[in-house]
Amino acid sequence: MPVVSPIFAACWLPGLTLAEPVHFSLVEKLLLAALIAASGWLFWRRFGVIARRILAARKDADFHLFPLGRRCWDFFWEVLCQAKVIRERPLPGLAHAFVFWSFLAFALVTANHVATGFGVGFLDPGGFFGRLYFLIAAIFALACAVSIAGLFVRRFVVRPVWLAHKDKTVSWESGVIAGLIFLLMATYLGAYFVPDGSLAVRLLWWAHTLTLLSFLPLVPHTKHLHLILSPVTVFLSRGGFSEIPPLADDDDFGLVTGKDVTQLTALQVYSCVECGRCTEHCPAANTGKELNPREIILGLRGYLNEFGPASEESLLGRWNSQQAAFQCTTCGSCEFQCPVGIEHLPVIVGLRRGAVNTGEWEDEHGGKLFLALERSGNALGMAHSEREKFMAREELPMFDGSQEYCLWLGCMGGYDPKGREIIRSFVEVMRYLGTSYGVMRREKCTGDPARRLGNDLVFQQLAEANLETLAQNKVKKIVSICPHCVRTISEDWKAYGTPPEIEHHSEFLARHQARLPKSAASQTGQTGQTVFHDPCYLGRYRNVYEEPRAIVRAHGDLVEAERSRERSFCCGAGGGLAFLGEEQGARVSETRVEQLVATGATTIGAACPFCNTMFRDALASRGEGAPQLLDIAQIAAAALPTSVKESDSLNMQEERREEK
Amino acid sequence: MKIIVAIKQVPERDARIRIDSAGKWIALDEIEFRMNESDAYALEEALLLKEAHGGEVVVLSAGPERVGQTIREALAKGADRGIHIASDKLGEYDALGVARLMAAAIADEQADLILTGLQSDDLGLGQTGVILAELLGIPHSSLILKIEKTEAGIRVLRELEDGWFQHIEMTTPALLTIQSGNTRLRYATLMGIKKARSKELRVVEADAISVDAARCVSLDSVALPSRQKTTQMLTGTPAEAAAALVEKLQQEVRVL
Repeated sequence: MPVVSPIFAACWLPGLTLAEPVHFSLVEKLLLAALIAASGWLFWRRFGVIARRILAARKDADFHLFPLGRRCWDFFWEVLCQAKVIRERPLPGLAHAFVFWSFLAFALVTANHVATGFGVGFLDPGGFFGRLYFLIAAIFALACAVSIAGLFVRRFVVRPVWLAHKDKTVSWESGVIAGLIFLLMATYLGAYFVPDGSLAVRLLWWAHTLTLLSFLPLVPHTKHLHLILSPVTVFLSRGGFSEIPPLADDDDFGLVTGKDVTQLTALQVYSCVECGRCTEHCPAANTGKELNPREIILGLRGYLNEFGPASEESLLGRWNSQQAAFQCTTCGSCEFQCPVGIEHLPVIVGLRRGAVNTGEWEDEHGGKLFLALERSGNALGMAHSEREKFMAREELPMFDGSQEYCLWLGCMGGYDPKGREIIRSFVEVMRYLGTSYGVMRREKCTGDPARRLGNDLVFQQLAEANLETLAQNKVKKIVSICPHCVRTISEDWKAYGTPPEIEHHSEFLARHQARLPKSAASQTGQTGQTVFHDPCYLGRYRNVYEEPRAIVRAHGDLVEAERSRERSFCCGAGGGLAFLGEEQGARVSETRVEQLVATGATTIGAACPFCNTMFRDALASRGEGAPQLLDIAQIAAAALPTSVKESDSLNMQEERREEK
Repeated sequence: MKIIVAIKQVPERDARIRIDSAGKWIALDEIEFRMNESDAYALEEALLLKEAHGGEVVVLSAGPERVGQTIREALAKGADRGIHIASDKLGEYDALGVARLMAAAIADEQADLILTGLQSDDLGLGQTGVILAELLGIPHSSLILKIEKTEAGIRVLRELEDGWFQHIEMTTPALLTIQSGNTRLRYATLMGIKKARSKELRVVEADAISVDAARCVSLDSVALPSRQKTTQMLTGTPAEAAAALVEKLQQEVRVL
């Protein structure tokens, strides 16, 4: 124990004893009691209002406290270890963690401090445990003082743009709080440097006490409310990533008015610490859109402050705008980053549900998409016969229950030219491996764009129709080239039945990697490096990062973009936005392509047909010299022996002929 | 303003069509049904008029039980109540017979306006609405793009051929057949579907209506169209060939 033993030894140094006042007069005791009562009352006057507001909100119909294991782990990892706080912003994160850990260490110190004032102090500064504990607390106090000073400099001197408010101002109350925390630590540490029994001891004691008692009422008035609420928020969170709660009853259409805000949402909204991590990572906020996830949460807080949870005032209006709600790509980086357990997606999708389920949302492209899904069962609004022609041309076998896999084409794989290329390559690989698979004739869109845009009617109809077809065909396992299909089938369909097992083709390919030929770079014509773009719905939504990389590595050199893995930047297609017009600010797809091109890679590796189509368009505007764009299935198929591919190239010729 | 919208349920666009064993109609098993497209636009026009001027929108449809689904869909989009002329043998009637059933079913409604789609996606006769107007003894106008309410009645915009349009002033009651594509259709919503459950849907048995069922038109047989591929070479200078190509894409393929 190299750290602990010097502390142990230091305990016995005579100078390292905390000085405490020994005797308090009755007047002092009465004054202390009065001040504590006043501070407590001021605290409750605000905190009570907020607590009542949260409790008055609608109950979460789907809330289950059990199983507790996941909740305890989240609490340990995210609250006690401060993992999310540190991971994203290591230096300020550690500084914050030291402040937090000092607060924990100070729980006992503070209890003893107040007890001393009433003459019932229980930690003897001269005793072994007292000496040791005070010294450990002093080390934390030192770390805390340095940290809070550093954080103060960061907020008011360095001023990262993410910490600023909507009006570009920095919260002054954070400065006051930082000052108070610094003062708390200084007045504690000071007691090591004053002689026992002196007036200075008493003054320091009172200074520490007054700082503490002024700190308390400020907490519920400022974003420092997160001190109290966020541990509860993290513990009680819904748990699933981007988990959209089921509609509670026949009158529930999503977040329409204050009456629809649930207790969990209200708790989360009041926990926001305004750190701006959500905004920093948001593809909409980064490309000049109105949407700013932090302002969505703070807007909801503003609504609850003004109207309360029983209000029938529309949630989209004064505090949040419909336009902002419909600019979200549901990439989930906000929710993934949030250190206080706020689940942004249920809120944003909830607002969309409120607007779409009631018919309030009018959008030319959105209306067309919903009608296409209603009438044609696919998001592209194409004739079903187009899909069948493709199946016939590629000689894709029908799923008849005898094959191992049902190959889910999805809208992109079934109708989009680029998506079809990915299917073609993936099928080549499956044929090479001898995997048995089949395609269902009556497959419809999984309902992903409807789900994310908040159209519960269309989503339910599609989910139920598909679940019925899968059951009729006795499908046990599905493989899909589209992370959106994978997510929607495996998670979102659960609201309407039991979906079969499903995996993304990157998982399938990685598992069979050993049986697939590796290729020298020269063989596939890939002379340069490949940058892999993590699709949101594969990475953050499904926690699959390594599998697609394994495939890329087997066929060339892998490089990473600045934002990759769980910090990957959206392509702009998610949340149904591929089908809407992106009219404000820069295009998300072009911003992402810029980041990928900056790596100098000659190939962009993708694993989602939506990313693929977005990048294809963005790359087209870059002209000559733009990197080539390949799905991982195409990368894997390129290394297959030519004899396997001959039948395929024949098919392609056939198709070209037919298209003519 | 009380508006009746007559809606037909038709096989979904692009369904896999097979001819039934009798060879007189298509096999209906394994086919999904949808609201006839121009009828969806007729419904949209009716709802817009109701939103602007108040009143009631009544949906009228004829056919077997499955037609109820399409009526519910219309109710979900905002129609107020429905009338279902129930018949499993509607195919035995010709357009005149169906129009007679409809006229009888709405005889007591006293509607100000009756809207139908221009024609059905399956048979494409474009007759039912026009005959219905004659049976009810009210004026009609076909191929309507726009309806405005005026002091005296209505003013409508009618599509003629070759890019020409016609404005017509009409008195009500009147019957209009609506052309597709001039407005944006609304999507069905969850709230609409839930509200539709409690809306009135009156079922009238076709057998209980005594109409003259004798057919004027009978369908002898149906056949799938045969596909033919032809290649045309465009000759001339590149400019002439390009011009000819553009014209073909515009006029024949209609993609430009």
